[in-house]
Amino acid sequence: MSGPRERAARLVRWYPRDWRARYGEEFTELLIADLAERPRSPARTADVIRGGIVARLTDAGLCGFAPDGAERAGKRARASLASLAWCAAVFLGFGGAIWSQLAIGWQWSAPDAAAAIATVVMSGAMLVLAVLALLAALPVARAVAARIARGRTRDLFGPSARFLAGLTVMVVGGRHFGNGWPGTGGHPWTRPGPVPGGVAAFSWASTLSVSSFWAHPAALAAFPAAELTWMALSPVALACLVTGAAAVVRRTELSPAALRFETRLARAACLAMAVFLGAGCVWIADRAPRPGSLFHPGVIDVAGLAVMALALATGWQAARQAAR
Amino acid sequence: MAANKTNKALDGFGRYAGPATLILASLAGEARHGYALIKDIESFAGVRIAPGTLYEALARLQAQGLIEPVESQDRRRPYRLTAAGATTLQAQLDAQRRVADVGLRRLAQGWGPA
Repeated sequence: MSGPRERAARLVRWYPRDWRARYGEEFTELLIADLAERPRSPARTADVIRGGIVARLTDAGLCGFAPDGAERAGKRARASLASLAWCAAVFLGFGGAIWSQLAIGWQWSAPDAAAAIATVVMSGAMLVLAVLALLAALPVARAVAARIARGRTRDLFGPSARFLAGLTVMVVGGRHFGNGWPGTGGHPWTRPGPVPGGVAAFSWASTLSVSSFWAHPAALAAFPAAELTWMALSPVALACLVTGAAAVVRRTELSPAALRFETRLARAACLAMAVFLGAGCVWIADRAPRPGSLFHPGVIDVAGLAVMALALATGWQAARQAAR
Repeated sequence: MAANKTNKALDGFGRYAGPATLILASLAGEARHGYALIKDIESFAGVRIAPGTLYEALARLQAQGLIEPVESQDRRRPYRLTAAGATTLQAQLDAQRRVADVGLRRLAQGWGPA
């Protein structure tokens, strides 16, 4: 049986690292005294766990009151923006899988009205999101360049390496596996759709891991080893890319004007994601009762939309917190 | 006007406004560390604040400049009230007293002994 100090140390681990660095020691002492007085208290355990989760959400810029002082406010806003980047990545991971199957389906057969509207609206939203991502990267790239010029790069090296490694794997793998399937690469039989075949193929290959085949191991076993490896590897590469980018954003000081600019972009990105999600819902609602075409949504698409809705709600909360 | 302005200091505390007021009231007496705060509040208010809630409120109070840590060699870091904290507590208690006065007066008028 562990002593009060070990039990207190275990409870304190619910809190994020920064919080522990500031309050960990004194909070541990408080817990030890409380444990000595009341050795068993489920309410205390629940309270500490809840407090730890709130502290982690605050650390991620997803809740908490408006901090005072420009430095703290800037740090909180950058944390919120980094969380939004995570939400956008999750959203696009699932959204890209849906969008690419619709775009590829269009190349093989004419879609009905709902699928056509959904594909066009989703394509527009994707384009807007791509432009917003590029615009959002500019102030960060400028701030990183300024830090490199001053020689203050030590804490950026690891995240930048993760970001570049993830990006390289996604680009190389996405192009390799996208071009490996004739239905996606502008084959002579295909019909012209609103999305260039190469773009649709890349999105399809990048999101290959979003698949209902995970629930059917026998079918999955028939896949080529390289494709299975890619299905397992690509989410890890995407996670490396996003964690690297998010860490760079959190560690790079941005001017108040740049933060305001990023915050406006964050709101616009949420709006574009909401439009994308709405188009996905139109497609699902219209096609759900009628199976049998290339545009038939499956359970994985419905589950994907649910995850996207959750990511959007969290991202919207992050954008609101960034603006405070 | 001053009271309204200082009341805003606890506006963003949400569910922590109650614990924050109790902590400020406790620190109005003397500087105290976490466990001493819990025991003191329990003795004068009959409420035992759980550790997670206490430190969430302490962090918010400190971030707002209403309390500050005291230098200590001990692992148990004490906190003390700041001038802004004293003003906020005064405004908070004045507001609560106004509510209490009105409630007591109306009780006496409508529900008092015949």
